Amino acid sequence: MSDRKLPRLLQTPAVLLLLVWMLIPLGITLYFSFIRYVLNSLRHPEWTSPSLSNWRGFGNYQFVLNSKDFLLAIQNSLFIVCSILFLTVILGVLIAVLINKSFPGQGIVRVLLISPFFVMPAVNAVLWINMILDPVLGLQGIAVGGINDILDGMRTMPVLGGFFSLWPEFEPISFRATQTSAIAVIMMVTWQWTPFAVLIFMTSLQSEDQQQKEAATLDGAGTWSQFRFLTLPHLGRPIAIVVMIQAIFHLSLYAEIEIVSRGNGNKNLPYLIGEFANNNIGAASATGIFAVILANIVAIFLLRMVGKTLME
Amino acid sequence: MAIVAQSSKFGTYGRPVLAWAVGLLFFFPIFWMVLTSFKTDADAVKPEFLFFFTPTLENYLNMTENYDYWRFARNSVISAVSATVFTLFVSVPAAYAMAFNPSRATKDVLMWMLSTKMLPAAAVLYPMIFLAKGIGLYDTHILIITVLSLINLPIAIWMLFTYFKEIPKDIIEAGKMDGVNTWGEIKEILIPLAWGGIASTALLVFIFCWNEAYWTVRLTTIDAATLSKLIEGNRAPEGLFFGRLSAVSTAAVGPVVVLGWFCQKQLVQGLTFGAVK
Repeated sequence: MSDRKLPRLLQTPAVLLLLVWMLIPLGITLYFSFIRYVLNSLRHPEWTSPSLSNWRGFGNYQFVLNSKDFLLAIQNSLFIVCSILFLTVILGVLIAVLINKSFPGQGIVRVLLISPFFVMPAVNAVLWINMILDPVLGLQGIAVGGINDILDGMRTMPVLGGFFSLWPEFEPISFRATQTSAIAVIMMVTWQWTPFAVLIFMTSLQSEDQQQKEAATLDGAGTWSQFRFLTLPHLGRPIAIVVMIQAIFHLSLYAEIEIVSRGNGNKNLPYLIGEFANNNIGAASATGIFAVILANIVAIFLLRMVGKTLME
Repeated sequence: MAIVAQSSKFGTYGRPVLAWAVGLLFFFPIFWMVLTSFKTDADAVKPEFLFFFTPTLENYLNMTENYDYWRFARNSVISAVSATVFTLFVSVPAAYAMAFNPSRATKDVLMWMLSTKMLPAAAVLYPMIFLAKGIGLYDTHILIITVLSLINLPIAIWMLFTYFKEIPKDIIEAGKMDGVNTWGEIKEILIPLAWGGIASTALLVFIFCWNEAYWTVRLTTIDAATLSKLIEGNRAPEGLFFGRLSAVSTAAVGPVVVLGWFCQKQLVQGLTFGAVK
């Protein structure tokens, strides 16, 4: 075999595997999205098999577009992903800059900091929603109860008691409710992925030009302007990469949403698909195709951003 | 000069204090889970036993009985290890080809591979179940290993590609002139040179496989079910079993967290995704 052919051939298994992995399920999804296909139907038993005679055209797509949950799910997907990206990048940069210089116990702090990244999402969600955020039994509930007890104690004080009795009792927040469950999901995923951002930014900071910084210090540049004009531009590329990798993972967030609220209110697109798929495979498939389109729109932006610099 | 003095003052006191505070804050939930795992289910929800309680190993001793932990753990080990090996087996040659024999299409191929990761799993879940049941692979190790490998392949190739690209081509060329063939090049020159990158890729893929919770939950029932499925299936409503739930959660994440600690340096060096020039 010639010198150039064999090396090229080495990427064929990977390409073929991914091609099959992408095209076959996607093809089936596309087909299902154009037929009436449900798992259980007493009135129309013929719809329970995926046959071409149940052709529905764009009917499933229309049905999905008209369902009240669809727009909400897209909004939620984007809201959750954007919030997580925003928080992890800001926190990641700040923490990476903070721990980049040596200090006593740097190694231990680094180990403590990156630990959440290794925790499986299912455990993350169970841990946060039960043991930390539960309004009665979790730490939140216990803390709010404690504060109320202290307040009650102060109300019985001789003079100031009257003042404190004007204060309301604190109410713990239920993070399983419609409005708050997205916040819980954002919190737990940010906790898990900030360490990832810190890891990448830290590696990048280590390659920062120290001589340049020293020169800047001698020229009288303050800490802030050094950060603003030297460190931040240096972090441009790693930020792009952190944003892209996280977008890939968080657009398909599922376990956290299911465990937190079973989709009460803050359904994202994958969750909505799962809900349709309990019975209406046609609608689930049509929603899936919408999700693919959304992911591709996001992907085009992100891949352009990263791809430009990747081959340099 | 004043600025230098100021920043060094922050360096001596402020930085360590703040850094330790952030580190402890991030670690606190894990600490809390481990601490709760040593409480009885009854003690775990009582405010008076928040930090001071009589520790018990009961939750760990009953883990097999309560949750059948070891069966799930065995499945997790089998599928994560096999999937990591298989992923590397496919991705090292592919990344090698892309890094050292790039064509005009290489960048697009790489980007396309990454874009397959963006394909929402939920969109193709039903067809996958349909297919898996059709060919009789539903709830088998083979299926889970294949799926885990495929979803991690793009990330692995990308990570390895960015790592290999930093290796000077001359070194590989020198090997060529000595009459080493392509397999020899990979085995004798590339793998020893890029060992750090390959190890950290393996580690990251292993972590992602171990933690995966979408496909492993939905493509298994009993035989191939992993720890993710165990946790998702047993999340206690209303916190009746905080103690035992914490114990089994600790046992589920413990191996990977400890592995991560030991390989932390490796991971910091390898996990750049081309972010570092």
